[in-house]
Amino acid sequence: MSEIPMNTNEIEAILRELSDKLFNAITKWDNCGFIGIRSGGELIAKKVVELLRQKTGKDLPLGALDIALYRDDISKRLYYPEVRSTDVPFSVDEKEIILVDDVLHTGRSVRAAIDHIVDLGRPERIYLLVLFDRGGRELPIQADFVGRVIDLPEEKIIKIDISKGDVLISEVK
Amino acid sequence: MNWPHKDIVAIQDISAEEISTILDMAGTFKEISKRDIKKVPTLRGKTVILLFYEASTRTRLSFEIAAKRLSADTVALSASGSSFSKGETIMDAAQNVMAMAPDCIVIRYPYAGLPFRLAKELPCSVLNAGDGFHEHPTQALLDMYSMKEHFGSLKGLNVLIVGDIRHSRVARSNVIGLKKMGANITLSGPKTLLPPGVDTWGVKVSTELDPVIPEADVVMMLRVQKERLNQQFFSGEREYSLFYGLNRQRVDMMKRDAVIMHPGPMNRGVEINHDAADCKRSIILNQVENGVAIRMTLLYLCLGGGKNVD
Repeated sequence: MSEIPMNTNEIEAILRELSDKLFNAITKWDNCGFIGIRSGGELIAKKVVELLRQKTGKDLPLGALDIALYRDDISKRLYYPEVRSTDVPFSVDEKEIILVDDVLHTGRSVRAAIDHIVDLGRPERIYLLVLFDRGGRELPIQADFVGRVIDLPEEKIIKIDISKGDVLISEVK
Repeated sequence: MNWPHKDIVAIQDISAEEISTILDMAGTFKEISKRDIKKVPTLRGKTVILLFYEASTRTRLSFEIAAKRLSADTVALSASGSSFSKGETIMDAAQNVMAMAPDCIVIRYPYAGLPFRLAKELPCSVLNAGDGFHEHPTQALLDMYSMKEHFGSLKGLNVLIVGDIRHSRVARSNVIGLKKMGANITLSGPKTLLPPGVDTWGVKVSTELDPVIPEADVVMMLRVQKERLNQQFFSGEREYSLFYGLNRQRVDMMKRDAVIMHPGPMNRGVEINHDAADCKRSIILNQVENGVAIRMTLLYLCLGGGKNVD
């Protein structure tokens, strides 16, 4: 368990580590695609793809998923999840997909994202990459690439503004 | 976001801001229909009953497809196959339908006001698929979406609606909605087919079509409703077509980038002919495509969230 990284440099360093891990793990660069979960995961995916371009010299395919329509709590919510658009500009069929999110917690978003991806096609496999894993899983889901494992009380929520490198931690209302 | 409506009965009840929300969201739902797997699990376990007491092809199919693409279960019932023809009152029928616990009733009815009453009395969502000469809110929303998709904005758009305004719920809903969104509306048709009190609607009215065509960005032709009309409104289809039909000459009078719309079904040779219906300016089939997306959006908004939104 590590301290929660709070500044741009620390987050940048984690992203570099993550792209190194990916660079060593993925062999078929012509057959992979990155998909970020809107909105936090999308920005992380963008950064990682940027870092990998410097290593591989390739513009790796990048897409974003909106999982609002795949949530399992739609009829239980008090408010409507905002519906944004899904934009995956490449076919996921037969590809190695790297699914990216900022924080892995209950695993429910990832479950929804996997369901969404299989509606778009049949990838060869799906990896999961996250910046932070804060534990607290409610589903049997694990990440393949983890930036940092962090310890955060259940009632806290964490938000990462990657453009500014801000990590905001606040109480659940 | 907060969606305060259980039902969609009339455009009258929906604010400009809410119309914008619907039009903004519809693009997301439109994308689903372009996938190989045209289905999302959002409304799994919800039941949508379609009660159509009046003929319909597009609207009924569109609602049914919209509900199915959101994974809701649908049951469709039309007047001819129901016990409505045995003399059961519509409220009794509705209460019986309600006893089977639907989450949403989509209703089309030949007389105005029933969707309003059902919405008030039933706990489920009620979506108006057209009631008499009153309103057809989902048609107006898909029309507005189609215009916005083409032109980018509704503000300041010049919309010309032509034909039987008097008996048209499509025109009524469009006028109300488009006015809220800041469009300029012109209505054109024979005097007998203009509604009483149209001068209070805040729109331009012209009994002559030709002078107003060149100003329009959108020319929306309405169907001559043969089933509702008799000879007292105009003397014949040929005469109507001559004065109010959209033909090659009139298409040539339109602005270069103006579009042609029609809610369907078309009476070819009466209010619109082949030169107009099938030309490049026609976005009639886009309207149908967008209808599914708009109805998915409305089903999501009315059935998707919790009830505690007051």
